[in-house]
Amino acid sequence: MKMWSSFKKELILAARGFYFYVELGFAVVIMLVILFAIPENFSSTNTEYFYFNLPEQGREISKNSLLENDTDGKIEEVEIETGGKVYPAGLIVSDEQEIYIFESEEAVRELADSERNLGVVVELDENNELFYRYYLQGYESTRLKNLLSVLLNESTVVLEERINNQEVRTLTTGFEPITERKNTIPPLVAFSGSLMGMFVMAAYIFLDKKEGVIEAYAVTPSSVWRYLLSKVFVLLLTTVVSGLIIVIPVMGFSINYGLLLLLLLTTGFFASTLGLLIASFYDNMTKAFGVIYLLFFILMVPGIAYFIPGWDPFWVKIIPTYPILQGFKEIILPKGDIVYPLLTSAGFLAGGLVIFALTNIRFKRTLSV
Amino acid sequence: MIKVKGLYHSYLKDGKYAVKDVNFEVGEGEIFGFLGPSGAGKSTTQGILTGLLQLQKGDVTVAGYDIKNISRKMFNKIGVSFEQSNVYNKMTAKENLSFYARLFDVETRDPLELIELVGLKGKENIKTGEFSKGMKHRLVFARSMINNPTMWFLDEPTTGLDPAIAAAIKDIIKDRNKMGVTVFLTTHNMYIADELCDRVGFIVEGEIKLIDSPKNLKLQYGEKLVEVEYTQNGSVKKDCFSTILQKDKDALNKIINEKEILTMHTKEATLEEIFIKVTGRELV
Repeated sequence: MKMWSSFKKELILAARGFYFYVELGFAVVIMLVILFAIPENFSSTNTEYFYFNLPEQGREISKNSLLENDTDGKIEEVEIETGGKVYPAGLIVSDEQEIYIFESEEAVRELADSERNLGVVVELDENNELFYRYYLQGYESTRLKNLLSVLLNESTVVLEERINNQEVRTLTTGFEPITERKNTIPPLVAFSGSLMGMFVMAAYIFLDKKEGVIEAYAVTPSSVWRYLLSKVFVLLLTTVVSGLIIVIPVMGFSINYGLLLLLLLTTGFFASTLGLLIASFYDNMTKAFGVIYLLFFILMVPGIAYFIPGWDPFWVKIIPTYPILQGFKEIILPKGDIVYPLLTSAGFLAGGLVIFALTNIRFKRTLSV
Repeated sequence: MIKVKGLYHSYLKDGKYAVKDVNFEVGEGEIFGFLGPSGAGKSTTQGILTGLLQLQKGDVTVAGYDIKNISRKMFNKIGVSFEQSNVYNKMTAKENLSFYARLFDVETRDPLELIELVGLKGKENIKTGEFSKGMKHRLVFARSMINNPTMWFLDEPTTGLDPAIAAAIKDIIKDRNKMGVTVFLTTHNMYIADELCDRVGFIVEGEIKLIDSPKNLKLQYGEKLVEVEYTQNGSVKKDCFSTILQKDKDALNKIINEKEILTMHTKEATLEEIFIKVTGRELV
């Protein structure tokens, strides 16, 4: 009864407050960004500009060679404008490339300069052999330059033979990749749902401290832990709602929502108790801002590692957000590991309980008159 | 109802005490005034008595409960009216009291009845954020009665209230006291203490300087004087005479016999004057 009454009171306060709508509004904005601003998959199409300064026959052979990869097998006639001039070009589009074939070297040079793409001029040298002139941007790696040299100087037969002789063993099988859009869900859910709870919880406590209502609560037969837990429950509710606002429109009902709710609740519990603990040391948000900002920064680091798979040092793995991100990722993967989110949930529940116990002691000791 | 023995409290635990060696008792049904200027240790003492501050040193019992091992059940018996208007600003007056009522294990009073009692009828469904400071203060006072406390802690209950409302609040305190409620009144307002308290304690710099009833204090420390206004040679004169000194008594007799008396009354010392005399400190 006391718990329910406190929870109901916190719900009323949250519904009439500012932070509740900030959290939900933030989730809606993120959902809209994922749906309408982030593409299903990031485009990896290269654009290259060619000019074949060759006899008619050589030009046709080169064009036909490139045309083999075109999606519709036809060269599209287009006009490209740059530097106040219009250059006619033939466009060949494949899954990985957009190749513009121009009728002058000047056009290739101008476009490579203005559009920051690779330009290639192919012509015959004095020995009647193919000669390539590349217009690069200056920032290309030595490896790329070497690769271009190898491709032009080595026999393609030799290259193919070497590639074919390499043995490739697949260590993991049976997984299905997810789209780039879906891949953005774990960090956004973790930061907007779970971690936002830390900040909002601290804000709620500081508001109560300002109004002095904690003291009023402390002189009732209801324990301080009930007061704290009722706030945690409200935060968990907003964490779950904001998490679902982001996940459902993108993932539909293709994932295990039981696991998602479990991870949202346990990580939200951990984050909100962390917010409580921080708030127990300070009187107001201004004084606590430095610590909250620092903690936010540290907790954001695994988000960087998440998008750079090659950068995964040990110290990043021990930051709590790392297992949170991996846990959410396992949940949205078509054949994700069920055990990992379960273990992660158990860990965050245990951690949250320890922090909650500490916070309860802190609040009992630091109530001031 | 309250027993305090050898109470010490240091906020930084550095030997600098906000209260030191405080000893007093408050009997059942008594109104005890705890008087002192700001920073004297009134709030610290009340904080310890109400469990808001941890007891560091000393023995304290409130309503039969040992404060060393505080039991939540104790709060069913006590009510606390804070000086700070600590209500939820985003909740209405009724919501504030209804929420608070549900936190107790004993029968509670009707929030609307209490709202009416403190003169806030018609404001029950208004968010307290829209209340004036005085209105909030009255709501805090009403809230402290929600559980029908037998031990009532009041911290500056009439501060910021207009005279009519303050009088109504004083009447409520008197009525509750007649019903057997013990009151621990913390204030720096000597007039309300004089009017309400059976006994008062003067606290300065964390130490209790004196405890007695206002009447005894006036008898002990007040100078027995008579102030007379009379006419002499067509003009009005005003003199003050001691009722103890023979020389003054004779002079007063002479004036009564020979002059036309306009006004004459005894002049008692106020509690404030006694406080200054005893502690050497002003109350502000």
